[in-house]
Amino acid sequence: MANIASHARSKRIMDGLSYLLLVTLSFICIFPILWTFLTSLKLEEDIVTSTLQYIPRRITFDNYVTLWQQSSYPKLVLNSLIVTTTTIGICLLTGTIAAYAFARFEFRGRTQLMLAYLVVRMFPAVMMIIPLFVVMRSIGLLDSTIGLAVAYTSFLLPLFVWMLKGFFDAAPKELESAARIDGATRLVAMIRIVIPIARNGLLATCVFVAIAAWNEFLFALMLTTSQGSRTWPVGLHLMVGEFQLPWGMLAAGGIISILPVIVLFALVQRAMVSGLTAGAVKG
Amino acid sequence: MEFSSRIDLDRRSGGRWAALNPLTWLGELSETRYWMYLLLLPSAAMLVAVVLYPTLYGFDLSFRQYRLTRPDLGTGYVGLMHYKRILTDAVFWLSLYNTMIWVTLSIVLEFLLGLLAALALHRNLPGTRVFAVMILLPFFLPNVVAGHMWSLMLDSRMGVINDVLVNIGLLDSYKAWFVSPVTAMGTAIIVEAWHSFPFFTLLILAGLKGIPQDLYKAAQIDGASGFSQLRLITLPMLKTVIAAAVILRVIGLVNSPDLLLILTGGGPGRSTQVLSLYAFQTAYRDFNFGYGGALAVVMFLILMIFAWAYIRISKVNRD
Repeated sequence: MANIASHARSKRIMDGLSYLLLVTLSFICIFPILWTFLTSLKLEEDIVTSTLQYIPRRITFDNYVTLWQQSSYPKLVLNSLIVTTTTIGICLLTGTIAAYAFARFEFRGRTQLMLAYLVVRMFPAVMMIIPLFVVMRSIGLLDSTIGLAVAYTSFLLPLFVWMLKGFFDAAPKELESAARIDGATRLVAMIRIVIPIARNGLLATCVFVAIAAWNEFLFALMLTTSQGSRTWPVGLHLMVGEFQLPWGMLAAGGIISILPVIVLFALVQRAMVSGLTAGAVKG
Repeated sequence: MEFSSRIDLDRRSGGRWAALNPLTWLGELSETRYWMYLLLLPSAAMLVAVVLYPTLYGFDLSFRQYRLTRPDLGTGYVGLMHYKRILTDAVFWLSLYNTMIWVTLSIVLEFLLGLLAALALHRNLPGTRVFAVMILLPFFLPNVVAGHMWSLMLDSRMGVINDVLVNIGLLDSYKAWFVSPVTAMGTAIIVEAWHSFPFFTLLILAGLKGIPQDLYKAAQIDGASGFSQLRLITLPMLKTVIAAAVILRVIGLVNSPDLLLILTGGGPGRSTQVLSLYAFQTAYRDFNFGYGGALAVVMFLILMIFAWAYIRISKVNRD
């Protein structure tokens, strides 16, 4: 009896400690975003003050308005949207069928090919960027949204295939077999049965790739050189030199740009996390 | 003769126009034994174009003179010149050393935070889903925003972290964190840990779900304390997951100069100059593609050791 009581007590203590830890860590994780948001609502003269304002005394949306109307931010966001959509398009068209092939068929060279798709992701970005710069310059794809999207597929397409393969693996095979017995070709079974079953996984995979493409900085910094194709991470970073550290606008730009990421992540968090971990742990 | 046989074919596949329907002819193709190769062809072709070809090109570049700012030097082969230069390049060796510090300390911190968060989340207390979203979020945020958010908080004139530390008496006055070499590296590591510890949480959480509950029940009957359960059951059972996570993080950290590029640009001096940043700046700032390429090839070789280790311990081979 005493043992059970002490066990229950130690469980309560551990639960309490866990809550303390979760609250602390959540606070640490969220605070920078919160602080950036508060800063974005401040007037520029209230940001650098002798006594720091924790809660802005005067709230203004000027930073957002200025950013949207007087800087190139809308164009940067538009470019990022084009690059992200194109990247997903390429991945969907070429990656979905590859993931399906890896998930459903045994064939010669399968393991080697899967390993190749895995290792490619681990190539240093810098090693890709330099040759891609030279090649794209010579075929006129440098400083274009299409060129950047193509460059992104070098690490996002293998990721897409591996993640989606995990979801196809997990999809039950019975419906597919039934359709095959009814005379459906492999192609029809794939399009009508397997892909619809795995649609949540497909969505999660697309969201993950979209976030990665939306966030990407290094390739964009090197491969875009002008207003016409520059994406928002590069634009935001270059703002630091362009103006004299306009913290309010910088904060506003950061908040606008991570808003879609936060919303998408919160929406498909569970499916995305399961897909990511399956891919990473198993290989 | 030819005409009639075509009609025959049409009839077999269900009508004159059916042959034009992609579902029909692709469907027939899908029944052949080459179908899976056809499915893989588009993505493989894509990867050959954007990965394999650039990689070989990169190797080739590393043996050439290639400076965008000095077209007069041409782009001829220079043999092992760049590699010889690496051997005697003090900045390279410093970058290598900095990379080791950066990677090791970041991973230790990320692992500890990630493990604690995963253990707490795994208890499935009420509200866990909300906590999970908040705790995992930093990993999905862009480097650029993460970097600038922390620059804002660490600023030497109006940084909130300085203000808090002064108010609770840990600091006498505001500090410029990125001005002294030691605090610059230390601070950058903390920012990096904030950004990426959720990766460990993710993987460890997945690993924890795979541990059979019976093991813990048996240990409780034997009277093992919570800590010894952690040491004797949880950690050994997580060995593979942890090793996989560590290797993937090593690869990620060696690979990506983004955060340091934004926070410190390698400075002050060269105190936070890591290998990836050095290679990137050689290409991006100095436009010396030959030498930058050689540095990238060295990084590639280092990374492939870790990639090999990852493949050995993960189950890809046995899949």
